[in-house]
Amino acid sequence: MVNQKIASDNRVTLYTTPTCVYCKIAKEFFRKHNISFREVDVFADLDAREEMFSKSHQMGVPVIEIGDEIFVGFDRAIVARALRIS
Amino acid sequence: MTYDLIILGGGPGGVAAGVYAARKKIKTLLITDVFGGQSLVSDDIQNWIGTPLISGFDLAKNLEAHVRSQEGIDIREGDLAARVERANESGFRIQTQQGEIFDTRALLLTTGSRHRKLGVPGEKELEGKGVVYCATCDAPLFKGKRVAVVGGGNSGLEAVVDLFSYALKVYLLHRRDSLKGDAVTREKIENNPDQATILYNVGVQEIRGDKWVTGLTYKDNKTGEVRTLDVEGIFVEIGSSPNSEIVADFVDRNKYGEIVVDPKTQRSSFSGIWAAGDVTDCFYKQNNISVGDAVKAVLNINTFLHNSNA
Repeated sequence: MVNQKIASDNRVTLYTTPTCVYCKIAKEFFRKHNISFREVDVFADLDAREEMFSKSHQMGVPVIEIGDEIFVGFDRAIVARALRIS
Repeated sequence: MTYDLIILGGGPGGVAAGVYAARKKIKTLLITDVFGGQSLVSDDIQNWIGTPLISGFDLAKNLEAHVRSQEGIDIREGDLAARVERANESGFRIQTQQGEIFDTRALLLTTGSRHRKLGVPGEKELEGKGVVYCATCDAPLFKGKRVAVVGGGNSGLEAVVDLFSYALKVYLLHRRDSLKGDAVTREKIENNPDQATILYNVGVQEIRGDKWVTGLTYKDNKTGEVRTLDVEGIFVEIGSSPNSEIVADFVDRNKYGEIVVDPKTQRSSFSGIWAAGDVTDCFYKQNNISVGDAVKAVLNINTFLHNSNA
């Protein structure tokens, strides 16, 4: 319950491609910790791709947006800290 | 906390070691960033013995589930060893990136290897801005674009084939005069000359671009001519470097940085440190081999721990 509250305070967006394995790992991590998130496929959605490029200044996936922070790649420890989960 | 064994790495080798160590009731800690090793990003693995076809992701899940099902093994996932020191006369102290400290009597490295970089100007600055080290992950982002793949080994050839589904044009740059990878993959490329151009005997000199990659400069090693190529993506697939730096002060390593081990026992040159899999000087870097070598290591560690108890 606590985690869900934090998640709604920190809107989480995950930018992915269909072949990105680290995106899958990030998704499993979010689900395990009951973090609700919006998934955007930057392969299919060109506007989202531009949005991801301009926010992260790079083109690799995954990109994770938590509140107004941008994280390139999935580093479990850093993302956990940003979401205040242990 | 003092362990009898600390395993660094959660690929096939590290997991095999963890399972065997737990079953031998060795007090063990396994530290890994993620499970699965380098095959994690493979679409399909067809040579994992006992399983005709499995994705890297599913293999990683299975490996993790297998080691987690063992009683009595501690696991730190999402962390990495940052430092190895001598703890006392015969043991080691591991400090992790998250700042935890653990002592152990025996240490097993199954840390594998990582992508080798070109080391040319522009590469570092443009990493993630068109310079790509995970073709499987990022190939879809180059739909309709002109791209280059550097490296004519298996991973280079597979990157070219991955890119056929998306890219407009793929240049394959290879430093030798013939490709090295599997014949099946090679034929797929050679049979698609409209989409793929192979440049032999060339070396990349510079990656160009400001905000994003715009091209590269390469030298034709036969004629000495320097040419440029306009591409928006550069996929670097030139082999790997072993993750052995952490024990560089202790063990003998060969000129490639691989830990030199005794192939019967997987012992390194330093008493108390073992290694298995791609981080070692073994000839063949294979998931199945890493598993067997890691098992040998644990069986030998078990003997070592019992003998030093006596």
